[in-house]
Parts: sequence; C-alpha cells; structure tokens
Amino acid sequence: MKIGLVTDSTADLPRELCERYDIQVVPALVNIQGQSYEDGIDISREEFYNRLPRLIPPPTTSAPSVGSFQQRYRKLLDSGCTAILSIHAASSLSGIFNAARLAAEEFGQRVHVLDSGQLSLGIGFQVLEAAEGILHGLSLNEILERVERIRRTVRVMAMLDSLEYLRRSGRVSWAKAMIGALLNLRPIVELRDGVVHRLGQARTRLQGIRRLVEAIHDLAPLERLAILHTNAESAALALMAEVKDWVQIQPFIVNVTTAIGTHVGPNGLGFAAVPVRG
Amino acid sequence: MNPETHRIEKLPIEMFDGQALKKLVEAGLLWLRANQQTVNSLNVFPVPDGDTGTNMVLTMQAAYKEIEQLGHRNIGQMASAISQGALMGARGNSGVILSQLWRGFARALHGVEILDGPTVARALAEARDTAYKGVVRPVEGTILTVAKEVAAAAEIAVRESNDPIAILERLVKAADAAVQRTPELLPILKQAGVVDSGGKGLFFLLEGMLRFLRGEPLDAPVAVVQPLSALKLEDAMETIEPGQDFEVVVDFVPYRELDLPAFYQRLEQMGTSIQVGEGDGLYRMHIHVPTEKRYEPIDYIMELGTVTKVAIENLQAQVNGLDRNQSPGRIDLAAVEPGQIAVVAVSPGVGIARIFASLGVAAIVEGGQTMNPSTKDILEAFENLPTDKIIILPNNKNIILAAQQAKEVTVKQVEVIPSRNIPQGLVAMMHLNPDGDLKQVAEKMTRALQDVTAIEITTATRSVEIDGVAVETGQVIALIDGKLAVAAATVEEACLRALEAARAAEHELITLFYGQDLTAAEANRIADLVRAAYPNQEIELQDGGQPHYQFIISVE
Repeated sequence: MKIGLVTDSTADLPRELCERYDIQVVPALVNIQGQSYEDGIDISREEFYNRLPRLIPPPTTSAPSVGSFQQRYRKLLDSGCTAILSIHAASSLSGIFNAARLAAEEFGQRVHVLDSGQLSLGIGFQVLEAAEGILHGLSLNEILERVERIRRTVRVMAMLDSLEYLRRSGRVSWAKAMIGALLNLRPIVELRDGVVHRLGQARTRLQGIRRLVEAIHDLAPLERLAILHTNAESAALALMAEVKDWVQIQPFIVNVTTAIGTHVGPNGLGFAAVPVRG
Repeated sequence: MNPETHRIEKLPIEMFDGQALKKLVEAGLLWLRANQQTVNSLNVFPVPDGDTGTNMVLTMQAAYKEIEQLGHRNIGQMASAISQGALMGARGNSGVILSQLWRGFARALHGVEILDGPTVARALAEARDTAYKGVVRPVEGTILTVAKEVAAAAEIAVRESNDPIAILERLVKAADAAVQRTPELLPILKQAGVVDSGGKGLFFLLEGMLRFLRGEPLDAPVAVVQPLSALKLEDAMETIEPGQDFEVVVDFVPYRELDLPAFYQRLEQMGTSIQVGEGDGLYRMHIHVPTEKRYEPIDYIMELGTVTKVAIENLQAQVNGLDRNQSPGRIDLAAVEPGQIAVVAVSPGVGIARIFASLGVAAIVEGGQTMNPSTKDILEAFENLPTDKIIILPNNKNIILAAQQAKEVTVKQVEVIPSRNIPQGLVAMMHLNPDGDLKQVAEKMTRALQDVTAIEITTATRSVEIDGVAVETGQVIALIDGKLAVAAATVEEACLRALEAARAAEHELITLFYGQDLTAAEANRIADLVRAAYPNQEIELQDGGQPHYQFIISVE
C-alpha cells in the first residue's frame, strides 16, 4: 500500500522537508492589485511583507481551485498510490479545506481530507507526523490516529504587531471590538480548533517575547517546535536565543507564508509547539 | 459652656454609655475637621497627594453618619455601628487604619452596655492590635505608633483615675508625645521636616473628645499660620458649605505683628474654610463667605496692613466648572458575564478611565492622588458587577488598603493587584484573560507590575529637600516610581530629565498621559521634544485628563 500526502502552502513546511518526504503542496492564491500570485512560488515573502503595509487596496487571499486539487490527486493515484491523505488549513478560517473536499468527492474513499483546525506549522506538524508514519510503513488508520493526536495537542500562539490586519480579515469577531483600544497594542493570540482566541496583549515587543517564552516554558518538554514570524527575523532569533538552551530539540524558524501574512500583518512573532505525549 | 457638656463632665467613666460615646465621636470629628488642613499639610512629598486630613475626616464622617440617628444607650452596639460606618467610609491608608482601630475598639466592647476603666484600656489595646494586623508591613512612626502609645497610656491612666477628663488628658498627652517622636522613627518624615499626618489626625480626634468634655469650643480652627506653600486652596473646594458663595483670597503685608487669635475671631464672623499662610513676611488669607459679605474680609484686612493682591471667585460657578471638567462622558465599559473575571480600576481622569475601559475594564471608580475613594465606593463597584470574580487595580499606593478592606467585606472572590500608579495598572491589564483562572490571572497581572517605570510630573506644593533633591515651591517636579527624582523650572525640562533618569533610551516605548491642566497643543509640543530626544523609542501621547499632574509617563 502506498499512501500519498497532500497539503497546502499555508502549512509553511520548508521545501527540503517536502522534498524529503514527497509531500505535495498546493499553493493558495494571494491577490495583489488585480494580479493573482501562487503563495510561496510567484512572490518572495520578503518582498511581499515589505510591500504589505503600503498596498492599497490591501491584498486578499483565495483558496486553490477545486481543479488544482483534482489534478494532484489524480497524478498521485496514477503513480500508484492506493490512498491519499490531504491535510489543510482550518476550515473556519479558509476555503482551502472545502475546495479539497469537493475535489476528493470524485475519488470516493481513496482520498481522506482532514481539517487541521490550524495554520502554519500547526498544520505542518500534523503533515510531518503523517509523513513519518508513511515512512515507517504504518497503516492508514494508525497514521490517522497519530495525526489526530498532534491535532489535539499542537499549540500555536503569536504576538501580532497590530490588530489592523486581523480586523480587516473579517475572520475574527473580537478583533473588530478590540480596535477600539485607545493604546497601541500587540495582541497575543492562540489558534485552537480553528478559532483565534485572544490571550492578552503586550505593549512592547519585549513584553510580548517574554510572554511567548513563558508559554513555551509552560508547554515543555516538547517534541516539536517551530518559531514563526512574519518578516521579523531578528525577533525570531531573539525568541530562539531565549529558548534554545532548554527546549532540548532543534526548533526551526519559519517566515510565515504570504497567504497567512495577509491576515496577520508583518512583524508578527509566534510559535507552533507539540508537547511530549504525557 | 453649655449645661449638657457639664453634665457629662461630671460623670465618672462608669456611667459612659452609647450616647456619651456618640457625643465623643461627634466632638472628635468636629475637631478633626477644624484641623483638617493642618493635617493635610503634613505631606512628605511636595505633591498634591491623597490628603490624610480629608481622608480621616471623611472616614469619621461616615462613622458618625451611621450612628447619628441611633438612640440606644448600649455602648457595645454603638461602637459596633461606628466601626461599621468607618469601615465602609474608609478612604486612604490612614482612613483604613482608623477604621481598623474602631473595629478593634468595637470588638472589645461587644456585649458591653456601660463603659468602665479597664474596658477602655482593653478596647484601646484591641484597637491597636487590630490596626497593626490590618497592615501587611506595619511601619513605626505612623498612626500605628500613636495608637500603640495611646493604648499603653490608657492602661496606666485607668488604674490611676476613673475621671474621664483625667483619662483622656493622659491619652491626648501620650498621643501628642508620640506624634512629636514620629520623625525619629521614620527618617523620611525627618527629611521632609514634618510629623506623621495620620498620627496627628488621631491626636486631633482624641483632643476633640477632650475639648468637648472640658467644654471648649470645637468648631473654630486654632489660629494657625501655615507655610504659604502648604495652603491648598483648591482642596478647600471639597468642603463648600451652603450659603458660602464666594471665595476670597487676600495677600497682604501686615503693618505690625498679626494678632492671630483676634484675626481668626474676626474672620470667623464672616465665613468658613479659613486658612492663613505666611512666607517671607507676606500673608495669604483664604475664606469662603456669603455673597453679601464678599468685600468684608478685604476691608478688614486693609486696616491691618498693605493689601497686595485680592482674588474673589464665585464658588458655585467653580463647582459647576469642576463638574464639567470631570464629567465622565461616554465610557464604554467591558461587558462581563457571570463566571468571567471583571476588572475594577481606580482612575483619576476621564481620559485614563476611557483607556482602561478600552482595555477591558468593567467598572471605574473615580479617584486618585487627591481624592481617594472609600471602601464603600470600591465595594459598590464590586457589588454592581454581574460576576463573582473580581480583580481590582487601585493604581495608587494610598488606595491599596481600602481595596483590600473592600475585599474583606464582600462575599465575592476578589484579588487586589497592588498597582501603585496608572502605568502599572495599564501594564497589568495586558494580562487580563476574562475566562482564565482568577488566581492565575491575578498572579500574572501582579508580576507584570515590574515591567514598567512610572514617571509623575506635578508642581511642588512646598519647599523641601528629600533624597538629595532640593525643591522650591512652584517648581515642576518628577517622581519616578514614587520617589522624588527631579526638580525643574518647566514641565518639559522635568519630563526630559526624568526620562533620562529612568533610562528611557534603554526601553522601547514611552507613553505620555497629559493632565487636564495642559492643552492638547502644549502636550503635543512636549511630546515632539520627547520624540526628538528619543528617536529610537516609540512615543505615544494620550489625553489622560487627570488633575494636578501635568503628565503621567510610562516607560517600558
């Protein structure tokens, strides 16, 4: 039995990991001033984030077409896969899962589409767990169980530089209310089961980093950790320096993809972490 | 001397009942009120701060109000009612400690109908113990020390005499001696050249009782001259009495030495709220008078010396103006649901209240440096919230105790975050999670207090040297985290020097909250200077609307 693995660009998996595990990545689309770009392919993240604050009208995102998923699934099945696992961005925040689900209908039971309830490495870690399961020759059910465990335990938190992008996205109800705050705030948010929760806010970046460090500390020991940022590499390195001595695993740093960055804005900092099964 | 006074005077202490205690409380209150400004002027820092005299008067006023209509003679019940009134009316640290004294006093009198000597001594000892326990870290050289000395004196006094006058004389003498010794026990008092204000207030309370028993008047303030700088005329507004429509302030240089008692006596025939200050031979007289008498003080003083300046103001108009300035406008408070955590914040200004509300505060209690809210004010805010889990941000060192007292009284679960200033309160709000565990959230909020440095800019109310900083009256001063740090000629100079002293360059964010005494344009101009001096820091300017403090600045 050969199992194919598909995800989308919002999983933020580094290219070399995708190649190593043969993970198929379907790009989301970012629409900038009337032109559509394939997320992570047509436009570099650095360029995108540098332009983002000055883009009028602001960019929007769209899910890949149903057809583009069908193409990938067909290709995998044609190449000898007997089953496909397709893991995608939280359905409450994006249309990607739905496009994949519609595409899968054509292939009956052979394509399993999962709603990760997550974004970025929150998805990525579920995909990696599946990839390792496939590599170890586990059965589809065993792999699904493992992915479900990651889905349940993965924690994704971030400090955003401003609320403006989140509010504009229209996908987070409280962001609209909080924009009434008279002070400039850096909201600290957590994504859980497809819902963006507000954990608090910080006034300064340093306060925010301290909050993230505390949160990682509370979750440790960890089996996976990624430091996420939206074009804030120095902040990401600062966070890395704070945790690397005691997390006991090698975290990787990810400049978050443009499709997510559109909705959270530049200079965000966060992490995705999977605590050791306990 | 009125006959009634005589009657009580003749009573041995064994005949002291609830009605007698009520009269003593009234007498103590009247005398304390007469000397309120004297107590207020005993402020360590030369800042417009929570006035001890006012706080103690308001606390005793609430105590007296509770018993004013009580007709029963049982002294235990009377004391218990006094204690209840003081507890709810307690304002400021001295007010809270005073209420604790009454609480202990009442506890010892529980079940007692008529007072006797040993019970007095026992009640004062219990009062002392309760007051000490009411403070987390009791400090000597304060009202506590005075209470302790009074209790010690009572033990001896009741053994030697059962004459109430003789006993009270001993207590007043002990209180006075203890007050005079406070600067020896508390170095900051010595530096500032004052005695402890709360202790002095307790002294006046006891002295008022004694004066009453002796048949001496209680309504007239003693003829005192304060240092000119200690005159706090704006605070006199709080005690405007009906019929006293005009405020008259006259500066003058007397031809010959002023006969103070006679001077006061004449002024008392004209009006109330009399204050007299002196500095370098120049006198300033302040009085509230009815409309028809508004020129009388001026005419009178012209006979005594050369008048250099006269100011007459319509008090009613001023009061209305104050109301306008402080009208809260529309503040969108956070809606909380049962089971969620609600935050109550004490705020000195409308702008700051708005900012707190925008951060998720569910109730605002007005108050701050110059007007400390009572335990009851805070308690009402607790009771009006639809949830049982409450966090309170006192945002002032002089309000923390009242907040703790309110926590003791309510049945709701309350956590007091000991925020000592506005910036601390705001930084604590960053950690509010309404759906979190009350204790955990409170812990996080408390830990956050150290994330910020607070600078407060105000005008010095008198000349003093503290911690090596010499201050002249009228200079602009900066306090950093409650410590006098800078004395400067202008607001901008004070801001810039204080920011330097607070090492603002090593931080990320400077937020300036400007007070009601500054225009937006002036605040903007100073914010631009700060911006130029700190190009690498984020600078935020906010309309705080607080009185007396030109700026409250947070550095984080």
